[in-house]
Amino acid sequence: MSYDDYHAGKPLIVTAALTGGVHGKEANPNVPETPEEVAEAAAAAEEAGASILHLHAREDSGERAFSTERFQELTDAVRAATDDVIIQHSTGGTAAPDALRAEPLRTDPAPEMASLDMGPLNRYQHLTSENTRALVDALHEEMQSRGIKPELEVFNGGHLNESLRIWDDLDDPPYVNLVFGGGTTTIPSPRNLVNMVDNLPEGTEFNVLAFGPHQLPLTTMGILMGGHVRVGLEDNLYYEKGTQAESNAQLVERTVRIATELGRPVATTAEAREILDL
Amino acid sequence: MSDACEFLERRTTGDDGESFDHERPYCTAVDAFVQPMRADVCTKRYGLDPESDCEYYREAKDLGSITDASGVDAAGDDS
Repeated sequence: MSYDDYHAGKPLIVTAALTGGVHGKEANPNVPETPEEVAEAAAAAEEAGASILHLHAREDSGERAFSTERFQELTDAVRAATDDVIIQHSTGGTAAPDALRAEPLRTDPAPEMASLDMGPLNRYQHLTSENTRALVDALHEEMQSRGIKPELEVFNGGHLNESLRIWDDLDDPPYVNLVFGGGTTTIPSPRNLVNMVDNLPEGTEFNVLAFGPHQLPLTTMGILMGGHVRVGLEDNLYYEKGTQAESNAQLVERTVRIATELGRPVATTAEAREILDL
Repeated sequence: MSDACEFLERRTTGDDGESFDHERPYCTAVDAFVQPMRADVCTKRYGLDPESDCEYYREAKDLGSITDASGVDAAGDDS
């Protein structure tokens, strides 16, 4: 993927990360948490142009949930509220036991996609999401057995090394999510985005995820570099400095508007499936 | 007896007037609603423990540095 793809009018896949599991309504009351709220947000994000929905399950209190049962309730609600989107379940889970991390893969039907964290990252002062190679391999193996395409979560450059470790076992095209922000993620800068993209093997499809105030500039850059983008309240609670985002759809609408102005068509769900060979 | 952190409460309203439909975890050590991920420490899920895993708890209890623990064997060279 490259600037040439942008000029050639390659469709842009927009992923909406609707809720996450790190922050919730205590940070922005517009973050959807219950299955009903997430389903409503999903429908609006689809209407706005998102073709992939990245989902985390929560309890009604906003706390994280990893059980297949809660993911089933969530995905059923989202599927009922949406027309035809690609469902992507998170398998992330700082401090959660390894056995729980596979639970989101076991819904019926299985999600078309799932996230696969490629290495360790720090949380707060005392927590680390270890994401050992053994866990990565186990989750990947279960994804393969269930026909789920992994999105490789590359939180920093070292995680790209870790991705290359399993590269030959990935179905084409590999789909890499390049993450920029604070802490253990890649330092957010245009130069670092260029460098990370330069390090991707030929034939990779990449997505840009940048936290907080970096979401808008770096995803816009990703659009121009022929990549795909992820936006949403999981990654960014604000529409602009000092103004909280009203909804996930508001963030998707802005991305679609920018892509359209730049002459990059936004992928339909069918086009997204074709690009990712789902 | 609750096995949760002594600073954990469940509230629908906060001191700043924020209100929620469902009870949420609230930390009385810092007087704020707790992020969902951090709540797993407050509730001691997954083997987490505020004493070792929460800086707010450690500060409130004046526990000092995590390297101050007594009885730690001299470790081998890990550098």
